[in-house]
Parts: sequence; C-alpha cells; structure tokens
Amino acid sequence: MNVGQPASAPKLPWRLISGNHACALGAVAAGCRFFAGYPITPSSEIAERLSRLLPLVDGVFVQMEDEIASIAAVIGASMGGVKALTATSGPGFSLKQENIGYAAGAEIPCVIVNVMRGGPSTGMPTRPAQGEIMQSRWGSHGDYPIIVLAPASVREIHDENMRAFDLAEPLRTPVVILYDQDIAQRTETVELGDANGVARAQRKWASGPPAAYQPYATGEDGIPAMSRPGAGYRVHTTGLNHAENGFPTQSPQAVERNLGRLLTKFERHRDLIDSWQTLGCDDAEVLIVAIGISARAALRALEICRARSLRAGLFRPITLWPFPENALREAASQANAVLVPEMNAGQLSLEVGRILGGKRVEAIHRFNGEPITPAEIAQRVETLAREMNQ
Amino acid sequence: MIVDSASAFDVRTYLRQEMMPHFLCPGCGHGIALRALLWAVYELGLDKDKLAVVSGIGCAGRLSAYIDANTFHVTHGRPLAYATGLALARPDLHVVVITGDGDCLAIGGNHLIHACRRNLKLTCLMLNNEVYGMTGGQVSPTTSETRLTTTTPLGNSEPNFDACTLAAAAGASFVGREVTHHVPKLKQLIRAGLEHPGFAFIEVLSDCTEIFGRKNELGSSAEMVLRQKSELRPSAYRDTVDSPFRSSDLPTGILTKTERPEYGAAYRTAAAAQRARLAASTDQNKGRT
Amino acid sequence: MSGPNPSNCSAGGVQLLPVAAAAKAREPINVLIVGVGGQGVIMVSKALASLAQSKGFEVKQSEVHGMAKRGGTVFSHVRFGPQVWSPTIPKGEADILVALEWAEGLRWLPFLKPDSGIFICDTKRIVPPFACLDRHPGALLRYSRETPAEVKAHVVEGYAIDATRIAEELGNVRAANVVLIGALSMSLDFSAEDWEQALSEFVPKKTIAVNLEAFRLGRRWVERARTAPPDAQPAETPAPAYRPYKVRLEITPEWCKSCDICVKLCPERCLRLNAERTVELTDAAKCTGCRLCEWLCPDFAIRVHLDAAEAPGVVAAAEGIRP
Repeated sequence: MNVGQPASAPKLPWRLISGNHACALGAVAAGCRFFAGYPITPSSEIAERLSRLLPLVDGVFVQMEDEIASIAAVIGASMGGVKALTATSGPGFSLKQENIGYAAGAEIPCVIVNVMRGGPSTGMPTRPAQGEIMQSRWGSHGDYPIIVLAPASVREIHDENMRAFDLAEPLRTPVVILYDQDIAQRTETVELGDANGVARAQRKWASGPPAAYQPYATGEDGIPAMSRPGAGYRVHTTGLNHAENGFPTQSPQAVERNLGRLLTKFERHRDLIDSWQTLGCDDAEVLIVAIGISARAALRALEICRARSLRAGLFRPITLWPFPENALREAASQANAVLVPEMNAGQLSLEVGRILGGKRVEAIHRFNGEPITPAEIAQRVETLAREMNQ
Repeated sequence: MIVDSASAFDVRTYLRQEMMPHFLCPGCGHGIALRALLWAVYELGLDKDKLAVVSGIGCAGRLSAYIDANTFHVTHGRPLAYATGLALARPDLHVVVITGDGDCLAIGGNHLIHACRRNLKLTCLMLNNEVYGMTGGQVSPTTSETRLTTTTPLGNSEPNFDACTLAAAAGASFVGREVTHHVPKLKQLIRAGLEHPGFAFIEVLSDCTEIFGRKNELGSSAEMVLRQKSELRPSAYRDTVDSPFRSSDLPTGILTKTERPEYGAAYRTAAAAQRARLAASTDQNKGRT
Repeated sequence: MSGPNPSNCSAGGVQLLPVAAAAKAREPINVLIVGVGGQGVIMVSKALASLAQSKGFEVKQSEVHGMAKRGGTVFSHVRFGPQVWSPTIPKGEADILVALEWAEGLRWLPFLKPDSGIFICDTKRIVPPFACLDRHPGALLRYSRETPAEVKAHVVEGYAIDATRIAEELGNVRAANVVLIGALSMSLDFSAEDWEQALSEFVPKKTIAVNLEAFRLGRRWVERARTAPPDAQPAETPAPAYRPYKVRLEITPEWCKSCDICVKLCPERCLRLNAERTVELTDAAKCTGCRLCEWLCPDFAIRVHLDAAEAPGVVAAAEGIRP
C-alpha cells in the first residue's frame, strides 16, 4: 500500500509520546526541579516520568503521603526558590484547593496540572471530562487571582507547561494546566523544540538593603519582589491577610490595599497571559467556543461545515483564566450564534454567555465519558444556522 | 562578667522586636517554649539567614511570626508537608516546624506519621496544651480524659494520644518530651533535636491557662506551671519509683534516638550515582562511534 | 606552684617506698581515702585492698558510706601489712591521704603522719549547699579558701592534682579517681602492671582503656612533679577567686501581661506586680539572679544581668575579703 509522502519533512526528530509524557518533558525544559505528587488516574504517568527525569538534572521527586501534602511540599519547595510542579486529577484537585488559595494569597509561584476525568466524586477515572473549568478558577475559598491554561494537544501540553512556569515565576502566582484524560493519555507524533539555551522568565528576586525591603511592596508592575531564604531578608510569609511588610493585619486600609493589588495584579500583564486560537472567525455566522478534546472535535467540525457552505468559526481559549474576553468579543463580532461544546453540564457556556451578553449562546453538554464528535458539532451548527436565518 | 550561655543569650536578639508584645494570652506556655527553642538555636550558633521556621495554624502556629528568621505560617495541619518540600529543595537550610496538638495530631496526623517514617532532616516542635485554644477551647486529640472543653461539656470521654509513642511507633529516629517548667532541660532537648541528623519529634507540654486552665479550674498560671513539676516525674527517677507511679506520669527527656539514613541525603546520593552511571554509558557509546 | 617542694622529698629524690619500709618495720601501711559520694572513693580503696591482699599482705578496710548520698562525705581506711589488728587508722597515723575532693582533703589532714605523711589531693571543689552563705552568684562560700601552696607548706610531701580536669580531657570525668590511683601508685612499690591488672578487674569493661590511660596520666603527673624544675611543674588549677556580682533586672513593662508566674515562682519572693499590674523588683538585695523569672516569663519581659560588682558585697566586706 502506498502511504504517500509527508506534507513536510520534520526539522527535528519526531517523537510519539503521550500528553502526560510531554507534560513531564515540558516541566524539565522549563527549569522545574521539584515535583511532589500522589498517584491518581489519569495523571500518574507525569509523576512516573518525572521520578526518572528529575534526578538526572539534580532535581527532586518525592511521592508524598496524600494530595494535600503534595501541593504543600510544592509550595514549600517554591518558597525555597525552586521551580516546582504537582500533577493530579479531579478528586486530588479538590483536595489541593485550600493550598492553591494559599499560594495565590501569599504569591508563591507553582504549577498544578489537573488532568480532567469524569466526576463528581470518584466519577470515571479513565474517561475524559471537562468538569473543572469553573473549579480551576473558583475552587479555593475567598477571592484570589489564578491563571489557568488549557492545552488541546500533546505538543501544546509541552509548550504550555513551559509557558506556565514563565507566567508563574515572574507573576508570582499558581498556574493550573487543565487538560482532559483523552489528551493526557493519547500519544501523538510531536516535534519538540530544543529548549536548551532558551532564556526562561525568572522570578523577581529581592535586592538592596534588607532593612528597606518590604516583601509585598510593589512598583508599577504590581508584582512584589520575592526574598530567597538565605539571602539575608528573613521575612514572614503567611496565609493571613497581610500588609506590605508581610505580617498579618486586620487594618481595613492595609487589607484593601494589598488584597486590592493582588486581585488586579494580572491586569497590567494581560499581553503576557492571554492566549487563544481563532479559526475562520472573520466571516463566521456561528462561532464555536471550545477547549481541549472538544476543541479538537470542533476543528474537524469546521471542515465539515465549510464543506457544507456553513460559515462556522472556532474560538479556542488557550489561557482559560483570566478569560480572554476582548478576544472572544472580537471573534464573535460577526456571529449570530455561539455554540459551546463541552464535556460537562454547562460551565464554559456560562462564561461565554456572560461575556457575549445578548448573543444567542447554545451548548452541547456531555458528561457520560464519551467525547463529543465532530459530526454532532457540525449538526448543531447547521441547525443553529438554519434557525438564525429564519 | 559571667560568660555562660544563660548570661550571654538575650532572647530579644532572636525576636522581631517590632512585633512584640506577642499576641498570646497571659501565662501561655508557648512563649516559654519559644525561648527554649531560640536559646538552643543560639547555643548551636545557627545562622538566622539559614534558619527556616514553618508553622501551622493555631496558637502555636503564630509563634513563627515573632522569630527573626525565614518564617512561613502555612495552612492548618500542613507545616510538615510544606517543610518537607522546603527542606528537600533547600538542603542548605535548617528547617524547624512549630505545630500544636490539633495541627499536628488531628488535621495533620497523616503528615506526622509519614514525616517520622521518611526521616528527612527536620525538627518538629509540637506544643501540646491539650486544647484548640485559638478557636475558643475545643477538645483536641491530646485532651486528657474527663477534662472539660467547649465541645466536651460532659467531660472528655475519648482517650488521648501519647504523641511520643505515636511518633516512635511511626519510626521517628528522635523522639523527646519536656515540660515548659524546666527551661534549661527543654533547651537541651531541643538542641539535641536540632543536632539530630534526621527527623526529630519533640513534644513540649505547655499550658493553656486562659481557656483550658480556667475551664478546668486548674488555678493561676503559676499554679499550672508548678503542677507540671508536681505531676510529672523526671525520667531519671522513673526506674527508681514504685510501679504504681508509672502509669500516672509521662516520661521526659530523649525517649528514642536511633540512627537511620537521612532521606534527603539518601535521595541525593542515589540521584548522583544515577547521573554518574548515565554519564559513563554515554562516554562508552561515544567511544564506539 | 605545684608538686612537692624538692627539699621536702626524702633522700634527694630517691624515694624510700612505704611498702618496703613498713615490711621492714612490721608496721601496717595506712592509706586513708576520702571524698564525697559519687566520686568513687570506695572503688579506689577496693582496688588498693585487693592488690595488697594479692601480694600476700593482711588487709583491713573500713569505710563509712552510710551518709554517702551523692554529695555527702565518704571515707575509707585501708590498712595492710604482715599483720593488722585494728581496721581504722588513728589520727596522725596515715602514711598516705588520698582525697578526691579538695575540702575533704583538708578535713582529713590531721590524720596524716606529721613527719612523713604523703598528701595526694584532687583540686576539684564540690561545694555543699550548706556552705553557701547566700545564694548570690559568686557569693562568698563557707568553703576552704586555702591555696594548694599554703596546704603543701604544712605537709612533708604533697600533690595537688587537677585530676578531674585530666579525666575530663580524657573524655570521661568519672575516671578522675583513677588518675589519683595513678598518683598513689607512685608512692607504693607495687608494680604498675599489678596496678593495671587490679584496676581492670574493678572498672566497667567498656571503660578499661580510658581508666588505664587515666592511671598512666596520674603516674606521669607525679613523676613530672618530682623531677621537673620549679618552672616546669605540671599545671594545677588555682582555687576560684571570690568574684562578687551585682544582679540587675531589666524589665520591659510594655511586654508584661501580668500573668504573675514570675512573682509566684521567684524563690526569693522579691518580685511583685505594681499598681500598673506590671512586674517590678521589690528588693534588689534579695535577688540572687537565678533567672527563673527570665526563663519562665512567656512574654520575654524580664532579662537578668549579672554585672561584676565594683565593691565587695556586704558579707565579703565583713569577712575581710576583697574582690
């Protein structure tokens, strides 16, 4: 059988790896030197891979006694100045929430991979879902900022994991990488760039005389410089609301000042944070908004639609939170209707509906462990287009 | 001038004096325990810049804020887990954990037994005052039987944990206990724990005078401190007293001390060996081509 | 000043050892061993008694340790010779006095033969509580103030050895008594090998090596004291000088939370809470600087300073002592 020729010859060696494997490689390439985790399907391969890789680069892998200990150890390592990662799945992600809030509040950089499986509770450990779109943003108590990245392919998992560190470190924030079981355990042919020698974004370290140092005082950029233990600053870090000096306070003015700064600290850095993909949005009558495996199905659905002369477009947020609102509004400017296929009972569609107030927003909800198919999406686009034209 | 350590040690030089007075209640034993810790730190000449103190939530957890060192006040029950990450990532730091009986034995119990088992170089100071003081005086895992708390209005009917026995059973390579009344002895014990090349668990029997003491009519702060002396027999005399005494008192001093491989060092050694193996096999392959 | 004054040594440095002398005279050798409970007085006497017996002497040993609680006085009489009648040594009849503690050595001096007795004493001072005139640090003690030189001037042959320090340097302070046995062995003509054999049977097995080393150091010390010129005599710790201190309490009233622990636990009862409910010192003269208040203050509000006093304290002045 003649298999034909590849479209283009690869510049770099191709590798056939899984999403979780790519995740581990991306972490090491990004300079991650600490991993703490706890076994859970379908993310365990990340831990297994890193248990082999980290010792080779003078890093540390540790399997902790539970999910909470894992995120705690990761934050502890990061407090020590080391880039740190943990990986988990739904139930473990729930357990980690309190400490993710700590990392957000105390502004400790770290990266948390959440491989989404069926829920609620133990759910369907080996089946894909997209049920933590809202939890990843709001899972911990109180108000806090967080960045969530939603890669949709093996290659993108690798690259977005590197970007996760490049955001977490300079912006001093936890970053969640959210992808579903389907992409996590699927193997794809990928061409990985050589990250060696590529300068990575670094944490802003405190400098200058210790007496003048205020651990949560900031300049224009709204990001406080962090003190590395051993560098002579000897500061206090707490999950209590604190003032610029790092110590707990209940002064309304001090809390409002520091928490207010924290909650808006991404605003000046949206160029760095925001990331999305658009396809065929210029003339799209129906705009599909999807992430992860649902977005992969939507890509194929676009081809089907275009073949049937349906003007469909795709908006795929890669940075899921903070949501690239302006980009979505622009992409949806020509659309009469929006379709959100997602593997849950309605999460992404809530946010899309909020942003595109007034526009018709429909959704395909799927929570039975079976991915949404391109044909189903194309079918709904066709129905929507017909209804809108009537 | 007398130049012994007690004269030379001024606790204030190890405190963040701008934070003082601390927020603990009058007569709280935790301040005494903090002095003993800082005295031991002073005697060992530990560099404040290389000292990291990780504490949990509760009255004991608040102590870290007053120490002039790298201090981390983390989430409830998790200081040992945070400290594990910090100590593994930064073997150059001297990591001390300050925790309470609820923080360490209830919500953080899992971390305690696994820290004991893992034997990473950490010093864990558990201040046991038999009560959740910060939240208003609820029963804790170490509250003695029949004691009154805000959640045991009929008297506690649960048996309490012997934290030292628990830690030793979980494999801790260093276990010790002391009361706050014996400050120099407590300092010596903490010092031995800080010097121990592995996980050291130290239980400090401290007094909650304002809440627990008041509820159980244990008298003034001074009377509570003196009770430590009258009710606890030093371990040195344990073998000489008649057996009926033994069940009513708790042994103090170093209770367990064994030599086991330290986790961090063992991990780094294995990792270095693996790197060397791979480097050797790469060189061999180069030689062939 | 240490070791015997060479002029006190008989026959120009050639010792006539008592064992040989006594055997000739058919008189028993009297060795008095004294110290305080816990130092190992009995062990020294047992080793000597057993060695003497193994050499064919009749031995009588008599000890008093009924009050031998730790820190109490302990003494043991060892008499050996061709024939011994009485187990105790009369006053002025001891050939050798071995003292494991300085004041005990002085207490038993009258038992030494005035014309030929040998005084071997550790300069270690163990001050009993009742010898404290007051509880201030550095306070005058009702304890021997004689210097080794002054004492040795009263005896024919004297060795004031800092045996405890020598043992400490060996790593086992409990071997101090064996350092003194080493010194004693230089005045009795049993062979060093016989001594070492006897010692090995009396000390715990694990400590044989360190004790034999202590024995040899004791011997060497005496050998040097006998042969070295005055400027190369082995070192000896002088008795501590009387150093009065003034106690000063530094109180941080803003940190005091009136918990009353210091007031109630002060052994001298010299603290109180004032009208503002903060701690203050009521009687500076009473405070001994024991630090209990400093240590037990949960709020770090008290700091005890022990300042060197410029003038002697009241008691010292009465006793005519100058700092």
